[in-house]
Amino acid sequence: MDIFLSLPFLQELLLSTLRMATPILIVALAELYSERAGLVNIGLDGIMAFGALAGFLVSYQTGNPYLGILAGALGGILVNLVYAFGTIQLGAQQIVFGMAINIFAPAIASFIYKMAFGSSSSLAQATLMAAIPIPGLSRIPFIGDVFFNHTPIVYLTFLLVPITYVFFAKTIPGLNYKSVGEYPKAAESSGIHVVMVKYKASIICGALAGIGGAYLTTSYISTYSDGVVSGRGFIALTAVIFGRWMPGGILLAALFFGFTDALQLRFQVMNSKTPYQLLAMIPYISTLFALIFFGIKKAGPASSGKPYFREER
Amino acid sequence: MNTFLTMENITKKFGDVYANRAVDLSVMAGEVHTLLGENGAGKSTLMNILSGLYHPTKGHIYLRGHKVKIHSPAQAVKLGIGMVHQHYMLVEAMTVFENIILGTTKHKSFFIQKDKIKNELLALSAKYGLDIEIDKPINEISVGAQQRVEIMKALYRGAELLILDEPTAALTDIEVESLFRIIRRLTSEQKTVIFISHKMREVLEISDRITILRAGQTIATLIKSETTAAELAHLMIGRELITSEYEKKTVNRELILQLDQASFNATSKHNGLNAVSLTVGAGEVLGIAGVDGNGQSQLAQLVTGLIAPDDGDVHLNNRKVARFTPAHFIASKVSHIPEDRNKMGLIGNMTVKENLLLKSLNSSRFSYGKGWLLRRRQIAMHAREIRQTYDIRCASVEQEIRNLSGGNQQKTILARELERDIDLLVAVHPTRGLDIGATKYVHDKVIEARDRGCGVLLISADFDEVLKLSDRIAVMFEGEIVGVFPGINPPIHEISLAMAGKKQQTQDLAV
Amino acid sequence: MKMNTKVVQFLVPVLSILFSFFIGAILIASIGGNPIEAFQFLFKGAFGTKANIGETIVKATPLIFTGLAATFAYKCGVFNLGAEGQFVMGAVVTIWLSSIQLGLPRIPMLMLSIVAGAVAGGLWGAIPGVLKITRGLNEMIVSIMLNYIAILFMGFLYSGPLREDNLPQTAQVIVKLPRIIAKTRVHVGIVIALVVAFLIYYFMFHTAYGFKLRSVGLNRRAAQVNGFPVKTLMLLSFIVSGAIAGLGGSVELLGTQYRLMAGFGEGFGFDGVAIALIGQLNPIGTLLVAYLFAILRTGATTMQVGTGLPTSVIDIIQALVIVFAVAGSALVNLPKIRQVLANWSAEPKKGQGN
Repeated sequence: MDIFLSLPFLQELLLSTLRMATPILIVALAELYSERAGLVNIGLDGIMAFGALAGFLVSYQTGNPYLGILAGALGGILVNLVYAFGTIQLGAQQIVFGMAINIFAPAIASFIYKMAFGSSSSLAQATLMAAIPIPGLSRIPFIGDVFFNHTPIVYLTFLLVPITYVFFAKTIPGLNYKSVGEYPKAAESSGIHVVMVKYKASIICGALAGIGGAYLTTSYISTYSDGVVSGRGFIALTAVIFGRWMPGGILLAALFFGFTDALQLRFQVMNSKTPYQLLAMIPYISTLFALIFFGIKKAGPASSGKPYFREER
Repeated sequence: MNTFLTMENITKKFGDVYANRAVDLSVMAGEVHTLLGENGAGKSTLMNILSGLYHPTKGHIYLRGHKVKIHSPAQAVKLGIGMVHQHYMLVEAMTVFENIILGTTKHKSFFIQKDKIKNELLALSAKYGLDIEIDKPINEISVGAQQRVEIMKALYRGAELLILDEPTAALTDIEVESLFRIIRRLTSEQKTVIFISHKMREVLEISDRITILRAGQTIATLIKSETTAAELAHLMIGRELITSEYEKKTVNRELILQLDQASFNATSKHNGLNAVSLTVGAGEVLGIAGVDGNGQSQLAQLVTGLIAPDDGDVHLNNRKVARFTPAHFIASKVSHIPEDRNKMGLIGNMTVKENLLLKSLNSSRFSYGKGWLLRRRQIAMHAREIRQTYDIRCASVEQEIRNLSGGNQQKTILARELERDIDLLVAVHPTRGLDIGATKYVHDKVIEARDRGCGVLLISADFDEVLKLSDRIAVMFEGEIVGVFPGINPPIHEISLAMAGKKQQTQDLAV
Repeated sequence: MKMNTKVVQFLVPVLSILFSFFIGAILIASIGGNPIEAFQFLFKGAFGTKANIGETIVKATPLIFTGLAATFAYKCGVFNLGAEGQFVMGAVVTIWLSSIQLGLPRIPMLMLSIVAGAVAGGLWGAIPGVLKITRGLNEMIVSIMLNYIAILFMGFLYSGPLREDNLPQTAQVIVKLPRIIAKTRVHVGIVIALVVAFLIYYFMFHTAYGFKLRSVGLNRRAAQVNGFPVKTLMLLSFIVSGAIAGLGGSVELLGTQYRLMAGFGEGFGFDGVAIALIGQLNPIGTLLVAYLFAILRTGATTMQVGTGLPTSVIDIIQALVIVFAVAGSALVNLPKIRQVLANWSAEPKKGQGN
């Protein structure tokens, strides 16, 4: 049991926590950008699946995982524009349309994969994105390896937290953006183009969630398979609630989920006798308990989830 | 004076309904121009067109002689048009400061330059006597203060024309006075004001000229000094004003409803009840007067079982209520015309027939086996009868209720609530948003119920309505009953003072 | 005149399906296939022989259950996304009963197994309900988390305590549902599914309780003001929805799969959601759409064998149907379009008096 307390174990665990938290965090931020404009998007799993496929495909073809990430972002945007059209233009119920995206996007991704690789071939392997240690900082013992020896996507994702905070709290465009999620009619009458903001939000959300998906297939594992997202979109959704719609809170929530995920993986590696399924439950069960104990009361944008029609009386 | 604004031949259709039909309006620079008209006369629609929120089906707008097309609120703001909506367009979760700068393009900076803008705002506030607290969140300031924030918003955006849509509806008399001072200050600075109202007294006090709208059309434009209240009322309503005369009752009968020191969320001035005691007798209308948001909503919820009191008792038919659930109150013969018919009263996606059925689902008339098999034929027949007797205008009783007009929706609710054996009717803003015909219909029905011996608790922000129907009048202010007055020859001055918060020596009517 | 709302409700899914097939045809053509030939094989696969027809019915059975589970929940405005987990838990309890050797005769054992499956699904479905009502938690997230937990739990069982020999799977159930059509795999489960669909239809549209449930789904506040026990009804719909899914899992295990192994129940939950939404939350619509999905599934394999086109073409068609149906339903509810439809329905028509 000593091994649990040993430094290498702890180091591995923390390193892996950051790695696992990254996709959750970036997708949760995607959701935050969406909800701040009044769009509750539960189609994150679908967007991620498509981003994962797009990212993998491009990374495989070009050998360049960075292009893969870019493709993931574009793919995510594409999928989310379908959602945006349905919910903004047609005023479809956001939950229902998000669910449709969750069914639609993975089916398309799976189709494209099969078209590209055939259905029977063994899993194709793409190059993984290499970690880029930050000069100087990565040399610090222990901490250096945990925090400053990651892929650029990890750095970018964590950097996005303060950026998002400053955007919403300190800038004029951020203030205007927030008002759309709170009270779109007031925003409109103040001269803000509500529909435009909602589309912008959908693009940001699509890009970030798409990157979150692409991260899985370009930086985490080197293959694509159906179900690779395995509910991370929903966990990200939980992280937003859990983090009280605040970037800092979302960061903590994502780290928590990343930690439980990392923990179960470490356990699996070390303790081959316990059936892995019981360990794999840890993130989901801890999500549930986290919700039960901290998830009460909605504190999100007031008009989130409601369709907006300018001339409705 | 120069003509500032001309609206010519403006027509706006919502589906098949004309909200405005060939409306003409001409407003001089620096004047207070009133748009006078009943609910649904098309005032708000016209102004929403002017502020870019709606697009006219037909017609032209000229500003300072130039033809303009206003395709968005942003465009209206650029043209110097500012509107203070009846329902304030303020984001509750944000501060006064944030609300004012929302959407402005004055400062091209990316980051919010708080100190710089704040000084500008304070200067503006001082100039017009707006007296605003810049750093408070919206939900912590009074309704009057919120209105001043709205005015500030418009001025900060460089409004030359300020539209005030029913600005006095939610204000106390004292707040109205201070609003009028602000309006005079604005016009003395050469700002133009369009004032929307249907309250004759205010209109005659503040306006320079008055344009009357009726049923979506322009009726006349008059100069204030050349007209009278009677003429305006006549033009506004289109026929002689029938000052309704419902017979008032004074006899004290058996008590139906009794509140004894009932409190709910007592520390809240706007959303609570503080030790409220009142009674409603059989065959009388107790009217609750007061400015909106002084606890009336909570009172209505309490006496229909939607909330339970934190303290104090409620008695129905001399029996203390133990279970505060709507089902219990319904079973105790309490009917409810809720304050928001779309959110609380009706199920929009259900048909007229189904909405009529909501409260009698388990009655043996409409189902076998206590609800296990609905008698569809009976239900449909009943609905068709009700449609006849209550004159509910719809294509068929199978039409979805959300497609009906407000008046017909309200009639559906009335029918459902009155076609039961009831002892108490709780009617909350029963004629809000209805036209004159429908309003009269609702009033007649309420009085009919009273005359059948039903007790009526009438809660309304429309003072005239309360005066017209009530046998006794209680005034609510900040969650308390601050006075009870007789319905016959009501002391109007004292009542309005009470509505503004002045406690009265309660006359000996409180039972 | 009432017909018009119903006509629209009927037209939206039908047009969505046709439109999706149309796009599917374009897709097939674009990857070098012959759409007509492909669809011929598709329908041959679904209806070509008696065995094929039977196979389609077998495939439709679990989809009907999860579709009905979703329909029942959404009618009450409750977004249960946990049908898959409830389906799995129903099967898990059924296999567990089978493993403990109760020694009951066949029929009582079958009935016990099925009831236990429904109860297990109902309990699993009650969890998000209780958490929503007492803690205000979002039922979608909770039910999704419970799906993963249920699937992992099933995995734990078939690779651990209930493992048979070396393969990661359980032993076969000791009693099986009787087959009802010779030379096919069609079992009595389809009859149970149809009965459940009929019961739900009756409950929803012919009883006061169903009426109340629908009211809660359409306007929760108004239902409360009108004295309906909103929380009770919501909890009820969670439980019943879960029970229907659990029943489905039990039936699928006893009638078709006989044992648990990786992939059991996979995708049935979300498919159920799609089916319910396309079927306009109507139990009969749900039946029809579930059958359509089954046709696509049995036909897809034949199509692949016959034409070399990948089965995932059919998945795309299926995915398109859901998007079109949801978008279409929203479209007809747009204020402007609704107005047009309302006017159209208000036009008096000859020979259609009221």
